[in-house]
This record gives sequence, C-alpha cells and structure tokens, in this order.
Amino acid sequence: MSDNSSDEELAPDWIPYRQRSDWADVTPIEQDDGENPVVVISYSEKFKDVYDYFRAILASSEKSTRALELTRDALRLNAANYTVWQYRRDILKALGCNLQQELQYIDDVISDNPKNYQVWHHRRVIVEWLNDPSDELRLTESVLSMDSKNYHAWQHRQWAIKTFNLYDNELEYVDRLISEDVRNNSAWNQRFFVLKHFGFTPEVIQREIQYAVNRIRLIKNNESVWNFLGGILHDGGASISQHEEVLAFCEELYNNNVRSPYLIAFLIDLCQEKCLREENAESREALGRRVAELCDGMIREHDVIRKKYWQYVVDSFQLKLNRLKANNDGERNDGTS
Amino acid sequence: MSNVNAICRRKHAKFFMRFLDLLPSRLASHDSTRVTIAFFAVCGLDILNSLDTIQPATVETIIDWLYRYQVVSKEGEVECSGFQGSSTINTSVPNENITKYKWGHLAMTYTAIATLVTLGDDLKRLNRKAIIKGVAAVQRDDGSFSASVEGNEYDMRFVYCAAAICAMLNDWGTVNKEKMAEYILKSIRYDYGVSQHFEMEAHGGTTFCAIAALQLSGQLDKLSPETIEGMKRWLIFRQIDGFQGRPNKPVDTCYSFWIGASLKILNAFHLTDYEENRSYILSTQNTTVGGFSKWPDSMTDPFHTYFGLCGLSFVNEPGILEIMPSLNISMRAYKKLKELQGHWAPQEPEECSNCSIIDIE
Ligand SMILES: [Zn+2]
Repeated sequence: MSDNSSDEELAPDWIPYRQRSDWADVTPIEQDDGENPVVVISYSEKFKDVYDYFRAILASSEKSTRALELTRDALRLNAANYTVWQYRRDILKALGCNLQQELQYIDDVISDNPKNYQVWHHRRVIVEWLNDPSDELRLTESVLSMDSKNYHAWQHRQWAIKTFNLYDNELEYVDRLISEDVRNNSAWNQRFFVLKHFGFTPEVIQREIQYAVNRIRLIKNNESVWNFLGGILHDGGASISQHEEVLAFCEELYNNNVRSPYLIAFLIDLCQEKCLREENAESREALGRRVAELCDGMIREHDVIRKKYWQYVVDSFQLKLNRLKANNDGERNDGTS
Repeated sequence: MSNVNAICRRKHAKFFMRFLDLLPSRLASHDSTRVTIAFFAVCGLDILNSLDTIQPATVETIIDWLYRYQVVSKEGEVECSGFQGSSTINTSVPNENITKYKWGHLAMTYTAIATLVTLGDDLKRLNRKAIIKGVAAVQRDDGSFSASVEGNEYDMRFVYCAAAICAMLNDWGTVNKEKMAEYILKSIRYDYGVSQHFEMEAHGGTTFCAIAALQLSGQLDKLSPETIEGMKRWLIFRQIDGFQGRPNKPVDTCYSFWIGASLKILNAFHLTDYEENRSYILSTQNTTVGGFSKWPDSMTDPFHTYFGLCGLSFVNEPGILEIMPSLNISMRAYKKLKELQGHWAPQEPEECSNCSIIDIE
C-alpha cells in the first residue's frame, strides 16, 4: 500500500481555503460518513479543508478557474480520486481551457504517480479531446526509461499507437529496449504487437526467427524470447515442428550441453508434435522415447520445482500416443487405412 | 523479521483489526477505495478463522456502513447503481448536483457484496435488480466493462468484477456473457497468459480475472484444450519459489493467489511445488506486528496480507480456511451465499432460468 499522498507535497506557504478571502463566499461542506463509520482515515487538517471546499463547489456546480485550482490541490492529496478527476474534466470543458497546458500538468502528475490508473485515464481523455497524439510517444518513452515494464505506460502507448496509427517507428524503439535488456518481456510483447499489425508474411517470420535465435545465443535462459519464438511460429500459421531450422537450432544448443528449462521445454513441444504426426512406427517410437527422456531430465535435474508438472506432461503425452496407436491398430484391423 | 517457519495467526488478525478501525493520514491516497480495505480485513479475518474477533455489534456497524454506500439509480435517470468506495462526496444534506457524481464502481460493488456475505448478512437490503442493471450499463461494445458509468477505465479487471457480481447475485440480467467471453479470448496472448486489454503483455492478475470470469459465467469450455494446456504451462512457469506476475519479473506474495487461484480453477494447482511456495510466502510475513508484504523485509499492507493467506490456504496450511478460488471468498462464505441464492430462486424464477448456482468440485 503506497502512501505517497500528502500534505508535505502542498507548498509550505499554503493557506487553508477557510482563511482565503477570495473563497469567503463559499461555505465548506463536511463529509458525512454516518454514524460509526469503519476503515476511517484520520484526515489531516489540510485534507479536510480542501475536500470540504471540493464538496462545496461540487454542490454548487461551480466551474471556475479557482475551482480548477482546487481540484489540483485535491488531487495532490489523493490522485486516485476519480470523482475529482471527472469534475476537473467537466470544468476544463465548461471553461474551454487550454488543453496543451493540461497536458503539461498531467506530465507532472504522472512523473510523481507513474502507476496511478486515474491520471493515465485522464491523459487519454484529454488526448482524445485534442485529437493530437504528438506527445504520447515521448511521454511514455520517458516513463519507460525510469521503469521499462510500467504496465500503465505500455497500455497508454499501445492505445495511442492503435488509435492514431503510430506504428511506423515502433519496431526501432522496441529493438532499442531489447538491446538494453533482452529480458524485457514487455518489449518482446510490444514487438509481437507491432509485427502482428503489419502481418506475418513468410519473410517476416524468417526474419523474426533469426532475430530470436540471435538473442537466444546471447542468453539462453530467457523465457521471454523463447515465448516470443513459439508465438511467431504459431501465429505464422505453421506448427512449430514444421520449421526444421528451429529444431536444428535447439538440437545444436542441446548437443552443446545447454540445459535451460526453456530450451528443453521447447524441445519437448517440438518432439511431441513431430511424434504425433509421424507415420512411421519406428520413428514415432524413437520420438516418443525422446519426449520421455527430456521430461525425465526436467524432473530429475533441470526443472525440479516443476517436477510434478513434467510428470503430468509426459503422462498426458503417453495417453495420447497410446490412443493414437490404438486407433491405428483399429484401422488396420478394419482393413481401412 | 521473516525467518520464522510458522504463521503468526493472532498477529495477522490484530493487523486486520487495526485496518478496520482507523487509518493514519498518510494513507489518504486510499480514501476512494475504503471498501476494498474492509474487504481485505474482513475476508482476511474469515480465512484466519478469526471472524469472531469482530464483536457482533461491530459486525452490524460494518454492514450498516457498507449499505450506506449503495447507490440505486432512479427510473429514467442515468443507470449507475452499485456501491461507492467511500463517502468522500457524501453530505448530510442531499444535493442534486453531487448526486450526479455518485456512481457505483464495479470493484467496490464486488468487494462490498463479498464482505457482506462473509459477515453473514442476509443481503436483504441489497437492491439486486438495480445492481445487475448497473453492471449491464457499464458493459462496452467490445464486451469489456468500465469501472463506472463515467470517468473510469475499462479492462479485464472490471470484466472479473462484473462476472463476480452477477455470479454472487445469481443474475446476469442483460449482461452479454458471450461478448464478454469474446473480449477475454481476444486478450489471450501468444504465450497463453491473458493481458489486461487485448494485445497488452500477459499478466498474472488479469489472467486470473479472465479465467475466473469464464468459470463464473459457465464459459470455461470456450477455451480449447490446446489453450488450456498453454495456460497451465504459462501459469506453472510463473513459479520461481513463490510466484511472479510476468516472465522475468520479481516474485511477489500476491501472485501466490492470482496464479494459484487460476491453476486451481484449471485443476492444475497440485502440479506446483507447495513447499517452495509456502516458504516464500512465510518469508514475507512480519512476525513482530503481523501482516505480509510483497517481498521479504518490506512494508506490509492488507492487500498482500490477505493474498498471502490465500496462498497459504491453497497449500493447505493448517488453521486457514479453504478459499473458493474464482469468487475469492472463503468456502464457508460461499456456502452461505449458496443458501441465500436458494432462498431467492423460488420467488423470482424468471430471474434464474438461465443461470445455475456455480458448483465447484
Ligand atoms: Zn503484489
């Protein structure tokens, strides 16, 4: 639970609304939480003061410059109050305020509260009103430079890219993030998002397989890139075992004694798929044994924390294989083929 | 203070009791979501099997307090029924201008009802019809739900809240379940985790929201066998010792619930390593003043305390009650809810023709 609100953030020379002559015409309204409330927050004097006046302007429906300023104080005390944000927007609209200035303000709030849902929502609405996304890539880039996995920033960025068709330079940006941190799963996801938009042509799939393979060579034990590789093959429409070069690459790593669980898991998937498609009984047996061996390695040594899972994988696979054999035998006995 | 291999039940109960009572001013940033804090405290006490720590009179106080946050829209006005999360804009003299901003919020509605059920309330003061209308009113064309009628985001979190509310009240009204499922299916990623919204990165919390919503709406069968196996893989791979929420992110206590509950729903939780999970959760327990945090030796909070206990419940920790994974309340509370639903059904048969009470094997 974060407690980044607060009084300290209001300027030291801050004067309570109750003492301001330019607010003398307004009667503050107290919060009513009824008799015996629970989960009571012991509001500071400032909090109570600001929100008493917020309730007052809400009640009188005052939409003015001073009311706009008041929402700013209220949000400084609690940036998660969506009613205040909503009322702020209603004021902005009523006064026809300069929305570029509002973007400036939001920049500041976001840099103080980069993980606050409400301020990102506010940002989106203002950008929609302006119909101008020209600052959104810069903003999200700057937030992501502090925390490259900030989910809010990625969501806003994807929204801006989708809504305003800003895909053009995104692959370059993603590429840069992946070079900075090859384990950045958010960046890999964004890569997939951009690629899918442009379409998975055979050329793109080949290029991306190479891209992934090169990064696996750098760091083998990186789940993000293995997942990406699986996704590329799958979404490219081909089953993973149809890409012989990928299988060869995995075998090469394995033969070079790489024992990353992600590599072995990938191999298990490839071998299972190949096995279940294999027509030749002997090759099928061999692939089946391979799957069992690989799972056994996971259970005993390479992925012990998931040993029950790998036992489950090998058991389910055996069941499938037996059913397949029984079907084939049945067909043979029926004389159909 | 984290190397103790036993759970300090009484300290955690005290911890929750403090949050039910009075919060320091530094927590003012939680002013809009006080109902969720009540949910964590009450449901946390429940799964600690310590609900009786709350005096009977206080139970009534909490119930009355929650009902004061119920918003029921008038006929012909904007439909915004549900629960508010706090009383920040409530005034002793009703004011029309303020009323325009009083909206139910799906997360608050869900946690308020779950808290009421857990406290043993009979839900008679709940305007069920209005609440379900409020849920249907915030469903969007893409099948997702906004948190409230205006002013809030829409994403997988509120899909879950909507499904949980409808399942608890055993009434889907005009909610479009099929559209909801479409939205969920479109948010399954290439790695088989589910994102918060369409093509975002897969995330443990939203994967729970998606799978639970499908179960609560009786639509788990919309997942192909291949997808289910892929999801199990993605979820199982989140275990490091405790669980992480995304690949290559640090482990965090709350994911013992999000990932654990998802696996429970898919009948695959038994494939995880209980001992590693348990040790991690216990390493984030504050043995001096109670509570759990997301990481060892960090600041505790009700959210991680509640979810840490849920995580321990999944590995059958003695003295912790069993959890109903998709509704995220104790099995005991869930049984009470089923009884209540049984009473509603005969009086309003038209309401329940298409939906059955969820059964968990
Ligand atoms: Zn957490």
